[in-house]
Amino acid sequence: MSLTSLVPLIGIADVVIGLSLGSRLFLIAVGLSLIFGVLGVLNFAHGGFYMLGAYVTLAVVSNVVDNFWIAVVVGALAVGVVGAAIEFSAIRRLYNRVDSDLDQLIVTFGFVLVIHEAVRFIWGSGSYSIDPPDVFNFSVTLGGSTFNAYRLVVIGLAVGVLVALWLFITRTYFGSLVRGTSSDREMAAMLGVDVPRLYTGVFFLGSVLAGLGGALSAPLQATSPALGDQVIIDAFIVVVIGGLGSMSGAFVGAMLIGMMQSLGPQFISAGSIAIPFLAMVIVLLIRPEGLFGGIGE
Amino acid sequence: MSATDTGGRVSRFGSAVAEGWTRERFGLLGAVALVLIALAPPFQVYLFTDFLVVALFALGFNLLYGYTGLLSFGHGLFYAGGAYGIAIVLRDLGPVIADIVGAGISPLVTFVLGGVVGLVLVVLVAVPVGWLSVRLEEIYFALITLAFGMLGYSLIIQDPAGLTNGTDGVIVLLGTVDLGGFSLRIGGRRIYYAISAVTVVAATYGVWRVVNSPFGTVCKAIRESPDRAAALGIDVGHHRWMTFIVSAAVVGIAGVLRAGLASVASPGLTHWSTSAIAVIATVIGGATYFYGPIVGAFIFLYIRWAISRFPALEAYWELFFGALLIAVVLFFKQGAVGGLLLLRDRLFGDGDGDGGGGGGGGALNGGQASTAADDGAESGDDNARADRGDNS
Repeated sequence: MSLTSLVPLIGIADVVIGLSLGSRLFLIAVGLSLIFGVLGVLNFAHGGFYMLGAYVTLAVVSNVVDNFWIAVVVGALAVGVVGAAIEFSAIRRLYNRVDSDLDQLIVTFGFVLVIHEAVRFIWGSGSYSIDPPDVFNFSVTLGGSTFNAYRLVVIGLAVGVLVALWLFITRTYFGSLVRGTSSDREMAAMLGVDVPRLYTGVFFLGSVLAGLGGALSAPLQATSPALGDQVIIDAFIVVVIGGLGSMSGAFVGAMLIGMMQSLGPQFISAGSIAIPFLAMVIVLLIRPEGLFGGIGE
Repeated sequence: MSATDTGGRVSRFGSAVAEGWTRERFGLLGAVALVLIALAPPFQVYLFTDFLVVALFALGFNLLYGYTGLLSFGHGLFYAGGAYGIAIVLRDLGPVIADIVGAGISPLVTFVLGGVVGLVLVVLVAVPVGWLSVRLEEIYFALITLAFGMLGYSLIIQDPAGLTNGTDGVIVLLGTVDLGGFSLRIGGRRIYYAISAVTVVAATYGVWRVVNSPFGTVCKAIRESPDRAAALGIDVGHHRWMTFIVSAAVVGIAGVLRAGLASVASPGLTHWSTSAIAVIATVIGGATYFYGPIVGAFIFLYIRWAISRFPALEAYWELFFGALLIAVVLFFKQGAVGGLLLLRDRLFGDGDGDGGGGGGGGALNGGQASTAADDGAESGDDNARADRGDNS
């Protein structure tokens, strides 16, 4: 297959789909990365948070208010509350342990099981889907290929979240507390930062982002209890490639993986789903701090 | 908990041995129990075989987690490696072997050869994977093993080499040995149980010997303090690598047995959620004890079975294990074996204020005390680990 015959295969729709997949991955990965960067906790339950966000949004839209955007906000905030409760009740007990990293990983894995089963208990094992909000539910045709306009909204919102987070971390007082605490917890505590409360706040924020990712993706995918298990692996790949704790890394990594998921199968038929894992292994071996920037921003 | 507490516990264990409960008697009792189980109803025999296989899986996993402090979320790769090794040999080499050794005995020869191939395959995979993985520590090790496991998973389901039959997996037919009037169905519940029991007991003994060998002592030294071990001239990376390979090999044997028990080698074995079973069993049983993973596997399978008796709860058994996992890590790091030892001390101890740190209260009290020790300083952790070493 020559290069010229490859080019027409990549339609604009594929690129848009890849970027929208990347956007949902960014929203889950940036929360994961933020929590790791500040608290040092690798939250295995983050995929569960994403799934929960999608379910709450679906439930609100179909049972409470027929407004997608209100449901998205409710979904994201509800997940934030669940996340903060988990941090407050369980994870904070482990910060001072000798093997705290592994204990945190195991406890958050325990919450993976709990959230998964709770979701199945409440909503059953079937899968749900909803339409994108009416305003954006139309097809766009660009360069001969067609995609749903809502995908562009998701991409735009992901970029918006990246910018807002960046401004929040670099320009606000709370952001400077977060930065200070992530680089030296003891010193921040000594200077009067209420570290436990800040940690709960960061965990809340990270969980809200995961919930937002799930909520916004609800119209783009089938929402089922298996969703959490799938996206957490993708999110791990993204944060490893981007660098655990790096926000811009999460963005670049997420878009990379999104494009890979969208375009990969067209280039390599066999073994294409292995490539992200291979990339994860290689990055961990060569640059464990990630390809883009180090711990921090 | 203090160092003297652990010392006391171990010495009482020692005195129990002196009173006539020798290791031989324990062994004999165990052997009698294993034989009696073979006479149980078929489903119970199956359940117990399942327990033995998961126990070996968790035991192999814990060589790495409990003994060297490396948490792998990718041991499903080696579990599947063993399973696919034997499954592919049975599928592709059965007729060839029948031509060589004769049809009557060929199922047994194929089964044994398949098991050996499965084990060799696992070691061949574990050598490079381990070499690369042990360069990383803590969550980075967990992440790279997760990545290797999922890499294996995706290769198995996409099957670029045409060996693994994609998402359907490879059917495992064990066949019947036929020697004149004497015939033996290898896959029969009781026969397969006997094979599994002998294999698992032998493998467990092997692991026990490794743990208590000079090699095991080096592992423990590395676990306590990699820096101090390195200062003593121990090649830390090399020993971690070797432990990784031994751990994978043990898990590979469990995988071989799994294939025969489930009659299929399926890609799900490689998925991280299968690797997590070893984590759940080990943590619940008590990673700081040699027998912890075995007790944990017992709890895992039998509680799951008990839950399945109640149709309303059956579908949600994972909820129970999730909650149990959280509770054990948060409040009772010693797991079930720690709890049992504490209980034994309370029932049979000589009442010198041991176990839970000052007596009084139930197991929970002891759990909090030991958690506090974990929380506090390294000494608490050392204490728990020294305990494991002596009890193994």
